Amino acid sequence: MNSRERFLAVLAGEMPDRVPIVPVVDGFFAPKVIGRANDDCFADGACLAEALTAAQLKFAYDGAVAEMGLGPDPNVLGCPVEIEGNDVPLVVETIVGGREDLEKLAMPDPWAGGKMEPVQRLVEAAAGGYAVLGSVRSPFEYAATVRGLIEFMTDFYRDPGLVRDLIEAVRPATMAVGRAFIKAGVDALVVKDSFASSSMISPEHYREFAFPSGREAIAELAEEIPVILHICRNSMPILKDMARTGAAALEIDSPVDLAAAKSAVGGKVALKGNIDAVSVIEKGGIAAVEAAVKAAIGAAGKGGGFILSSGDSIPLSAPEENIAALVEYGRKYGSY
Amino acid sequence: MEEILEKFETALIAGNADASADLADAIVAAGQATADEIFAHLSNAMEEVGSRYQTGEYFIPEMLRSAEAVEKAMAVLEPYLFESRHEQAGVVVMGTVRGDIHNIGKNIIVSALRAAGYEVHDLGVNVSTEKFVNKVRETGAGLLLLSAFTTSTKPALLDVMAALEAEGLRGSVKVVSGGASHSEKFAREVGVDGFATDVKSTLAVCRRLTGRDGDRR
Repeated sequence: MNSRERFLAVLAGEMPDRVPIVPVVDGFFAPKVIGRANDDCFADGACLAEALTAAQLKFAYDGAVAEMGLGPDPNVLGCPVEIEGNDVPLVVETIVGGREDLEKLAMPDPWAGGKMEPVQRLVEAAAGGYAVLGSVRSPFEYAATVRGLIEFMTDFYRDPGLVRDLIEAVRPATMAVGRAFIKAGVDALVVKDSFASSSMISPEHYREFAFPSGREAIAELAEEIPVILHICRNSMPILKDMARTGAAALEIDSPVDLAAAKSAVGGKVALKGNIDAVSVIEKGGIAAVEAAVKAAIGAAGKGGGFILSSGDSIPLSAPEENIAALVEYGRKYGSY
Repeated sequence: MEEILEKFETALIAGNADASADLADAIVAAGQATADEIFAHLSNAMEEVGSRYQTGEYFIPEMLRSAEAVEKAMAVLEPYLFESRHEQAGVVVMGTVRGDIHNIGKNIIVSALRAAGYEVHDLGVNVSTEKFVNKVRETGAGLLLLSAFTTSTKPALLDVMAALEAEGLRGSVKVVSGGASHSEKFAREVGVDGFATDVKSTLAVCRRLTGRDGDRR
């Protein structure tokens, strides 16, 4: 069983030979591996493809995540984005001031300007030996980004109709980007729904606004490819809803108790997570990584259905030896 | 009067913007409430909202709803409070540091500080070091509040501190860094005079640094 097969086996509900290891090594961290600055790679998909390929080769985990600037909609439906130094790309201006702007939204053309070439390059480099995951914003996340998080969440009470209409208006973007990744040959999609976290909005609002559009998009994409739903920070109160979206796996973050999550939804979906990217991988030592990996596999590894991962993107300043340790101990403790 | 003020506080906590503005009108029309009384109720409301967020009863949209209610009420109350507001507290420059676009926490703090009587110059998000320094110089602010959602913004905070020093402003302004992940250790490393993680601790540290410890609560 190679890395890709191991990863896909879990998403198909089958038993792998060991727990697959797919940490979220994306544009935050990967450029460092090839000695490049983040801003080089955020602005240049070829650089990021090279970085992600090199990082996988170096640490030999089971899957690479195409994310952050690499892909069909780096400017988020036309929002001006600022890239400086090692900062992540920032959307510095939102483009939806109100209902009248919904018509002005320009859906991304994923294949224009060679934007998908780096993704194809990453898929070619993987050559079926390890998995490649494409990262897509959910309709809810797109909507929050183009409206601006504050205005968007203020609208929940001020103008809930606008929230629903905006989410509906941007849903084609999620679908277009998802389908472009599928056409480029990725093995799975990660639908990112970070703002739907129960650390930010109530479970009731999740069910009212984020869940319906997320479920529609995921169910449709899942007809073609396995989908992983990512919601960071606390997602425990909405875990059962997330499991009803049609996702094959849920990517959960460190605040969620893995054993409780496994018990709540383990019979229905796989879980991917949830080593703390900051306190363990960035700031902990190798012993802390080992303890966290052992505990995570102990809590969720039994009977399959588990992919070992960081709970969220690994920060730039994380020591390389901690990522190496994550993989090493994942193998040590993850054998079935 | 106390009954109107209690209702006003309740409306702010519930995030009922229309009722908050109507009650603010009633407060102004009656003309009996002192600035101290109004600020006390505004502060109580914001602290209660912050506390409900921390206990998981409120989430970000509920905090924003209350922030909007405060904003609408302040638009009515500001002319009424203007003179005493300046006498009571200090001048604050606040913004979210370069590389960070989180403004939820900052906006809540701005509302709370205004409610508590500070004159706040809000520079927005992703604010450059130069903008912070220029505004501190221009306003003669005694407090500079640097909002930073995560500790990964440490270089941006250090840059502001170095620039204040280089421009000879460090002696005249107290600096507070704030964000959910801030700690005493982090504050020490950055060299700020205080840190805060929520509305309550921000109001407390500002009171301490402006020598107003004895003020209400």
